Amino acid sequence: MSPLPGILKGLATTARTAMRPTHTAEYPDVAPDLPPRSRGVIALLEENCTSCMLCARECPDWCIYIDSHKETVPATTEGGRDRQRNVLDRFAIDFSLCMYCGICIEVCPFDALFWSPQFEYSEVDIRDLIHEKDRLGQWMATVPPPPALDERAAEPGEIAAATKPARGAGLVGGAGTAPGAGATGPGARMPRTVRPRPAGTGTRPPTPREPLTGTPESVPDDTPPAAGPPADGETR
Amino acid sequence: MTSELDVGMGAGGLATADMVLNIGPQHPATHGVLRLRVVLDGERIVSAEPVIGYMHRGAEKLFEVRDYRQITVLANRHDWLSAFSNELGVVLGVEAMLGMEVPERAVWLRTLLAELNRVLNHLMFLGSYPLELGAITPVFYAFREREELQAVMEEASGGRMHYMFNRVGGLKEDVPAGWLGRVASAVSAVRRRMPDLEALIVGNEILEARTRGVGVLDVATCTAYGVSGPIARASGLDIDLRRDDPYLAYAALFAPGGPGRVVTRSEGDCLARLQVLLEQVHVSLDLADACLDTLAMLPAGPVNQRLPKVLKVPEGERYTATENPLGFNGYYLVSRGEKTPWRLKLRSASFNNVQVLSQVLPGCLVADMVAVLGSMFFVVGDIDK
Repeated sequence: MSPLPGILKGLATTARTAMRPTHTAEYPDVAPDLPPRSRGVIALLEENCTSCMLCARECPDWCIYIDSHKETVPATTEGGRDRQRNVLDRFAIDFSLCMYCGICIEVCPFDALFWSPQFEYSEVDIRDLIHEKDRLGQWMATVPPPPALDERAAEPGEIAAATKPARGAGLVGGAGTAPGAGATGPGARMPRTVRPRPAGTGTRPPTPREPLTGTPESVPDDTPPAAGPPADGETR
Repeated sequence: MTSELDVGMGAGGLATADMVLNIGPQHPATHGVLRLRVVLDGERIVSAEPVIGYMHRGAEKLFEVRDYRQITVLANRHDWLSAFSNELGVVLGVEAMLGMEVPERAVWLRTLLAELNRVLNHLMFLGSYPLELGAITPVFYAFREREELQAVMEEASGGRMHYMFNRVGGLKEDVPAGWLGRVASAVSAVRRRMPDLEALIVGNEILEARTRGVGVLDVATCTAYGVSGPIARASGLDIDLRRDDPYLAYAALFAPGGPGRVVTRSEGDCLARLQVLLEQVHVSLDLADACLDTLAMLPAGPVNQRLPKVLKVPEGERYTATENPLGFNGYYLVSRGEKTPWRLKLRSASFNNVQVLSQVLPGCLVADMVAVLGSMFFVVGDIDK
């Protein structure tokens, strides 16, 4: 059996493909176009962290290190009570152990951790893969807004919680403030956490695929950790 | 003449001595660290023994000290080419033991993702198997199609290999807006360009000469060794859990008139195994299209259930088997009512499939060994666990 027909057929396929545009991208020169959900690196929004240790406990290979101490905040009013609060001393993720499962981000009750598609942080020394909280904080600039959900998706939990009538709304002289109307009524609480804007509420159109640009330093700070309008009077 | 030279010349009237040849653990055709201890008489294999365990990570023992969400992380890693299907077995078992009903939208999305994962897995082997036979080109075409599908998988789940998208009670979150449309175009692009890959493999005289009639595996050996998946079907064993013990939405897809069908061959040689893989890609693409059609008609709804903070599975035991791309994948879950399983036994497809090499390889030539080895379509992580 002559192998010639098969070889010619293969060469014809190759010739046909050679006529078509290329499929490859020259990586260091052309940045890959990564979707916002891409799990590249974990960013820390330090202001939101209460050092509750949930992420460190739920991590399947325990690669999150947290140190904190308690500080006493003196009472602000006469005869008031001194309060204690946790102060975060160290928050480090060892990316040489991390399995990129995202459980820490899922369990964080105060939205202090976020995925960023940024992936360019390879190191020569494995010990440099431990990112301390300042380095984790720098990644926040690269966190894209979450993509809008499919039209048939159930509304996200945050929105469902925000549109739910406030607790005690139906009572006499109800303290039921309109959700999201700000902290006016006695029943309303100040939102404790700040978070990046979800897609659609920002100034930019919600692009489903964010192009990834450069290192965290070079990224224009257009997705700030929006300490801005408390969009939701959500209760957690 | 020294005795060593006699060995090299093999049969032909000269006195020969058996030679023990060690293949691996780092041979590229082994997809990881499988070692074969082969006894040769000249060019012919007398006996072959797969030596496994170089990649043993103790997954089953690790499962016992992890909660069910953490188990999903580990479970998707044993067969790194079918991560979604691996996750599926764990969560289906836990859901069944909890008596949990999964939203319909999640069921169809899971079916869609499982089929896309199957295509990804098969394309990997359709690229790498010719590579092992010496044909370098097909792998580029296979990877082009893989990239197309991996892009949509990454857009939904955030991962390219370890999706970590299943949760007990459904999926992690709903898919992004417009994603279903992008899946449809990715599926049609892969289907449109599949002939490119097929032109290099199917009917190629060199590939056929290397694989036809080589490494024939009969049905009796298949059943004796518990071989499953495309390898068993290439030997004529007509068994597919998607049809025979349907889970997810497969009952509807494999119903008469549905797009699902079980691909079988009767030859049982390396070529038949490759053909089954190739045809299964087409079937899976059809199934993915059917899932997309159904998803477009389903009413809006959630994709997961509200779970308690601490998820405890009631006391009991259950064996959950799924049809993974490489064969049967089973999880035997024994719970004592704790938040971790008391035991989670993993039955992986490659473990059984690779054992049969000790029956198939004897009688083959050394030159055919790589052809037979590659056609068993295994992942070493799936063997060693």
